[in-house]
Amino acid sequence: MDCGTCETAGPIQVMQPEVVDVALTISDKAQTMLADAFGDDRSMALLVGVLSGGCSGYMYDLQIVEETDQSCQEITINGFRVLVPNASSHLLDGIEIDYVDRLMGGGFKINNPNAESSCGCGESFA
Amino acid sequence: MSIASYPDGHLSVWRGRDVLSFIDGLSTNLCLDLVEGQCKHTTFTTTSAKVIDRVMIFHMGGFVACVSHGPHWEALLSHITPRILGQDVSITDATQSNDFYVGFNHDNEYNSSYSSENGVTIGSSIDGFEMIIASKGTPMKADSNWDEFDEWRIAQCVPWPGREITSKHHALASGLPHDVHPAKGCYIGQEVLTRMITRGKQGRSLVTVPNNEAKASEVTTQGATHSLVITRL
Repeated sequence: MDCGTCETAGPIQVMQPEVVDVALTISDKAQTMLADAFGDDRSMALLVGVLSGGCSGYMYDLQIVEETDQSCQEITINGFRVLVPNASSHLLDGIEIDYVDRLMGGGFKINNPNAESSCGCGESFA
Repeated sequence: MSIASYPDGHLSVWRGRDVLSFIDGLSTNLCLDLVEGQCKHTTFTTTSAKVIDRVMIFHMGGFVACVSHGPHWEALLSHITPRILGQDVSITDATQSNDFYVGFNHDNEYNSSYSSENGVTIGSSIDGFEMIIASKGTPMKADSNWDEFDEWRIAQCVPWPGREITSKHHALASGLPHDVHPAKGCYIGQEVLTRMITRGKQGRSLVTVPNNEAKASEVTTQGATHSLVITRL
């Protein structure tokens, strides 16, 4: 097998989606839960990203981080720092971060107007 | 072993720290456990579990080599590129530097390890054939032809891209149950396939039937006496 390493062919051009200035909201319930998670330390941020995969093609990726090496937009809502990677900004513009209080399947939930469909567990979308 | 030339073979080289998790999230087989020296099949599917392409991936250490079906490459590429997002994945096309063959009619036991020697890499398929990738200029001779390979496939009920493995059918109907890992978690099309498996209803299946029993509209590969058909059982 010749892997082409010695050839001059460059990587295939990945479709670079347009970077969108993201607007998002956090519901009152989600803000209460974030306040519990963050405590008084507001130096931490909520990273809201998208990964490939899941039943529907894209999966939400929520993390509490201090910083990230991804190129991100930083949005501050009522003192909460939210980081949105530019690479997935086109998929996250207009989302609402909500919190659902349920015995099964509860937790943070993303309401996304860009999603055409979601999988049963709500963790991925298309 | 009989060897037939596979002119529609396609080779891409995938690099980056996120490659295995990227492939794992988009295809039916468990790929995260692949280690250097191993190869396996996996199938990329749509959200409705229809096949985009079946590929054989080789963990080459610093990169993953992906052998796919040339006529399906554009569809596969347009499926995967919007999903790379910010992940560390880059893909190069190395098809032109290689020739492709399939080996069949042998008694080799299935082995997830591949061999690579003198420019020739041989990966063993769970379906009983061997995928052979030879650097251009490597002395490699086909001693069989595609008709003989088709006869072998029909006898063994082995699907092939462009014939049984097409966008018309889902992975189970295409005869790819080995590619559908039962417990790997979410991937595109997983909900549909899991529902079929748990309910024991997958609609159509790939089977070998005598030619005189084959319904013409269901024949995917016709041989001298038998055919492969995708039909409701």
